[in-house]
Amino acid sequence: MFSYILTTEVGLIGVLISRDFLFFYIFWEVVLIPVYFMIAQFGKFRKESVGLKFFVYTHIGSVFLLLSIFAVYTYNFDKTGVLTFEIGSLMTNSTFSYMPAFWRDFTIFGFLFAFLVKMPVFPLHSWLPDSYESAPYPATVILSGGLSLMGGLGLFGILLPVTQSLGTFVLSFLIGIGIVSLIYFALAAMMQSSLKRMMALASAASMGFVVLAFGAGGLETGYEKTLELSGGMFQIVAHGLIMAFVFSALYFIKRSTGKENIQELGGIFRETPFLASFLLAGLLASLGLPGMAGFIGEFSVLVGSFQAIGWVILFVIFGMILTASYHIWAAQRSLYGPYNENLGRIRDSGTYQTIVLGASLIVILILGIFPNLLFGLLTAYSGGL
Amino acid sequence: MYIFGWLIFITPIVGAFLSFALGRHDRRLAGPIASVSIALSLVFSVLAFFRVQSSGPIDNSYSWFFNINAGIYIDHLALVMVLMVSFVSLMIHIFAIYYIGEDPNRHIYFAETALFTSGMLGLVVSSNLVLFFLFWELVGLCSYLLIGFWFFKPNATSAAKKAFIVTRVGDLLFLIGMAILYFSLMGYPGLTAGVSPLDIPFLINHAQSIASYVGPNTLGTVAVLFLGAAAGKSAQFPLHVWIPDAMEGPTTVSALIHAATMVTAGVYLVARVFPIFYYSAPFALYSVVAIGAFTAFFAGIIGIVVNDIKRILAYSTISQIGYMMAAIGLGSVIGYSGVSYGMFHLIVHADFKALLFMSAGAILIALMDLRDTREMGGLWRRMPITVTMLFIGSLALVAFPGTAGYFSKDSIINASWIYFQKSGSPYAIIPWLLLAGGALLTALYTFRMFFRVALGKPRSYLAEKAHDPKAYVLIPLMVLAVGALLLGLIQPYFYSYVYSKAVVPSVPIYVEAISITLMAIGIIVTYFIYGTERYKKLNLADKFGYRLVKNKFYLDRLFTNVIAERFIAAFSGATASFESSYNKGVESVGDGTLSLGSVLRRLQNGVIENYFIFLIIGISVIFIIIELLGVL
Repeated sequence: MFSYILTTEVGLIGVLISRDFLFFYIFWEVVLIPVYFMIAQFGKFRKESVGLKFFVYTHIGSVFLLLSIFAVYTYNFDKTGVLTFEIGSLMTNSTFSYMPAFWRDFTIFGFLFAFLVKMPVFPLHSWLPDSYESAPYPATVILSGGLSLMGGLGLFGILLPVTQSLGTFVLSFLIGIGIVSLIYFALAAMMQSSLKRMMALASAASMGFVVLAFGAGGLETGYEKTLELSGGMFQIVAHGLIMAFVFSALYFIKRSTGKENIQELGGIFRETPFLASFLLAGLLASLGLPGMAGFIGEFSVLVGSFQAIGWVILFVIFGMILTASYHIWAAQRSLYGPYNENLGRIRDSGTYQTIVLGASLIVILILGIFPNLLFGLLTAYSGGL
Repeated sequence: MYIFGWLIFITPIVGAFLSFALGRHDRRLAGPIASVSIALSLVFSVLAFFRVQSSGPIDNSYSWFFNINAGIYIDHLALVMVLMVSFVSLMIHIFAIYYIGEDPNRHIYFAETALFTSGMLGLVVSSNLVLFFLFWELVGLCSYLLIGFWFFKPNATSAAKKAFIVTRVGDLLFLIGMAILYFSLMGYPGLTAGVSPLDIPFLINHAQSIASYVGPNTLGTVAVLFLGAAAGKSAQFPLHVWIPDAMEGPTTVSALIHAATMVTAGVYLVARVFPIFYYSAPFALYSVVAIGAFTAFFAGIIGIVVNDIKRILAYSTISQIGYMMAAIGLGSVIGYSGVSYGMFHLIVHADFKALLFMSAGAILIALMDLRDTREMGGLWRRMPITVTMLFIGSLALVAFPGTAGYFSKDSIINASWIYFQKSGSPYAIIPWLLLAGGALLTALYTFRMFFRVALGKPRSYLAEKAHDPKAYVLIPLMVLAVGALLLGLIQPYFYSYVYSKAVVPSVPIYVEAISITLMAIGIIVTYFIYGTERYKKLNLADKFGYRLVKNKFYLDRLFTNVIAERFIAAFSGATASFESSYNKGVESVGDGTLSLGSVLRRLQNGVIENYFIFLIIGISVIFIIIELLGVL
C-alpha cells in the first residue's frame, strides 16, 4: 500500500515539475498504475471491475493526450525545423495557428479530453463515484487530491497559454460544462446514502468551478481575468486540501463506528465530538465557507466570472445553494440528532487522529485567512499572460 | 495601524479559544473567560470611540489577495454598532452563565458565542465588502451551530439547517451583487493603486461618481441584490421563515443572535452602503422601504396568533427590523437622516429585545422550558422581578410614551409621514399606513403575550410552582431595563452623531396622536380579551383568515414542503437515478467490448490455413481500397 502511494506521488510530482511533454506523458501514465492496483487489490466492492473501469477510462484520455502531443510536435517541427518536446515552445499560439484546422481541433480535443476525464466533469465522470467509493481511504485521498489536480494542472499549466487558439466556442463550451457539472453533481450527491460517495460527487462538483474559471478566464480581459484564473488555480489547491481533509475525517469516523452510510450514523456528536466537529469543518470547507481555503477560490471564480457569463451566474448560484443544502443536510442526519444507539460505545479521536486532522485543518484555515501566500504567486502567473 | 481597532474583534476570538481549551478541563471557567474577553473588546470599543472623536474615522487597510483588501474602517456608524454589540453581548454572556447552568457542553457554548461576537464585531468594522462577507458568513455559521447547540433535539437541528440554507440564499445574492459591482467598476478612474473596487470607504465616498460611471440601473441592481442579502440575514419577507424556527436554540442565543445583533447585520449592511442605494436608480430605495414596511406589518399579523412565547418575540423581531429597513428606505426623500432613524431604532431594539428574551429565558428556566403562553398565567405574582423586566421590555416594544422605544419607533412613523408629505405622490402614504398600523399590531401581540404570561391564574402546575431566580443573576436584565427606559434621552445627540444634519422629525400633533392612540387601543383590547380570561369565548379556529395567518400564510410550507421536498428532491432523485443508469450504460460499453473480444478470439484459433486465408483477404482488401482511391 505505502509503495503504491509513494509511486503515485512520484508520478504526480513528475507531472507537476516536468517541462517536457515526453516526461509529462510518462509521469502522467505512471500515476495510473499504482492507483489501479490500490483499487484492484484493496478495493471494497467489485474491486477488479472498478479498477479496470478507472484504468480504461483514464487511459483512453491518455491516448488522446499522446496523439495530441505528437500532432503538436510534428507541426512544430514542420514549422520551425526544431525537434523539441519542450512544453513552453510547443504550446504557443503561433504553433497552433500554423496547424491545419482539423489537426488543431483534434489536438485541442485531445488535450481537453484527457484533462477533463481526470478532473472529472460531466459526462466523463463515470469512473469517479465507483472508484472513490470502492478505493481504500488513502487511495481516495490521493484520487481526489491528486488526480483532479493533474486535470487542473493540464488546463492551467498547459492549455492556458493557448487559450486564444481554443476559440470562443470551446471556452463557452467549457463554461457550460463547468456549470452543468456543478449542478448535476450537486443534485446527484444530495440523494446518496453513503457519505463517501456523496463527497466523491462533491469533489467532482467543486472541480466544475475550475473548468468554469478556465473557460471564463479565457474570455475575459482586465483585472477580472486575473482574478478568475488565479481563483481557478487556487480552487484546485484548496480542493485537494479540503478533500484530503474530509476523506481523512471520514476514514477515522469509519474506523471508529464501522459505518459510513448516513442512515447508519446519526447523533455521533454525542460520543465523538472531536471527530464529528472535524467532519463538520470539512463539510463546511467543502461548501465554501469563508475563512476556509475553499471560499477564496469559489469567491474569485464567481465574482470574476460576471464579465464572461453575465446572468448565467444565477445557475452557478443555484448550484452553490444545492451544494450548501446537501452538505448541511448530511451533517444534520449523520452528526446531529438523537444518538443512534445501534452503534454502541465508540471512541473519539485519539492524539494521532487529532494531530493529523488538526494539521490539515490549520492549513486550510491559514490559506483561507491569508490567501496571499498562494494567491500572490498565482496572480503573478495569470497576470503575466 | 490602530491596534485597538483590530483588537476589538480579535480579543473575542482569543477568548473563544481560551474558553474552549480551559473550559474543557474546568467547565466553570468557560463563561467568565468569554465574558472577560468581550468586556475587553468593549473597552477597546470605547477607546476607539475617543480616538474617532479626536482624529476622525479609522481606516487601516491592507492587501488581502489580488486587488481585494482587508482592513478596518471605523466611523460613527460603525462605532454605535460596535458599542451596542459589545455591550449587549457582554450582558447576555453574563446572564448566560446562569442560564446555561450545568450543561455539560457549556465550554462549547461559550466558545461559540464568543466567536460569534467576534464575527459580529469584525463584520461591523471591516473595511472591505469581501472581508465583510467573511464575517457575515462567520456569524451565520455561529448562528447555525448555536441553534443546533442542543444537537440531540431533532427540531433544533432541522431549524439550524433551515436557518443556514435560507440565509445562504441571501448570502449568495450578496455575492452576485459584488460580482456585478466588481465587474462594472473595471476601468473606473477613481481606482488608484491600493484601492480595491470593493472597499467600503471607496464605495461610500465615490458613490455619486460611481453611479454615473456604471449607470444608476446597474448600481440599483447591485443595491437590490444587497438588499436580498440583508433580507436573508435580517429575516425580512420573504426570507424571514428561518427565524421563528431558530427559537429552538438556547434562549440566550435567541437574545444575542436572533434579536439583538446578527439579525440586524442586514440593516447595518444597507446603512453601511447607503450611498450606493441613494445614488442608484430610485427603485433601490423603493424596494427597501417596500420590503421593510410590508414586513413590519406582515410579521405583526402572524405574531398575533402565535402562542409560543419565544416565537412571538421572534415575529416581533422580524417586524421591528422591518421598521429599521423602512426607515433607511425613506432615505430617498429624507436622505441620510433615514439611516440615523433606522440605526437608533436598531440600538434601542437591541437593548429592549435582549431584555425581553432574557426575561423570557428566566421564565422558561422557572417553567422547565414550557414555552406555550396558554399554560402560563399569574406569573407576575410568582416571579415579580422577572416579569417586571418583561413588562418594561414590552412597554419599550410597543413604544409607550416615555420609554426608549417610543423615541426610536415613533420617529420612524413620523418620518414616514414626512416622507409622504415631501414626496407628493399619493402612494407614498402606504409606508405610513403600514408602519402606523404596525404600531397597533405590535401592541396587540406584545400585550397578548404579556397579559397571558403575567395576569390571571396559573394554568399549569409548572406555572404555579414558578419562582424568581436569585436577584443578582438578573442584574444584566436590570441594566438593560434602565437602557430601555432611558435611552430615549440621547435621541437628538444620537441622530446627529450618525449623520450630522439629522434632527428629530416633527409632525403635526394629530399624526403623533394617531400612532399613540392605536397603541393604546391595542393594549386596552388585549387587556379586555386576555387580561380577563375573556379569550376563552373567542372561537376562531375555523375562520379562513385565522387559518391563513396561523399557517403563516403558507410561506413556510411553500419553501419546505413544495420547493425543498418536492422540486429539489424530485430533481435530485431524477438526477441520482440518471446517474446510476448512466454508469450502467458506460459499463455496458465495457461489457460489449469484452464480448466482442470473445467473439474475435475464435479467429485466433491456431489453424494455419485460416490465417493464410485472412492474409489473402486482407491484402486484396487493401489493394481494392488503393485502387478505388486511385492512388496508384
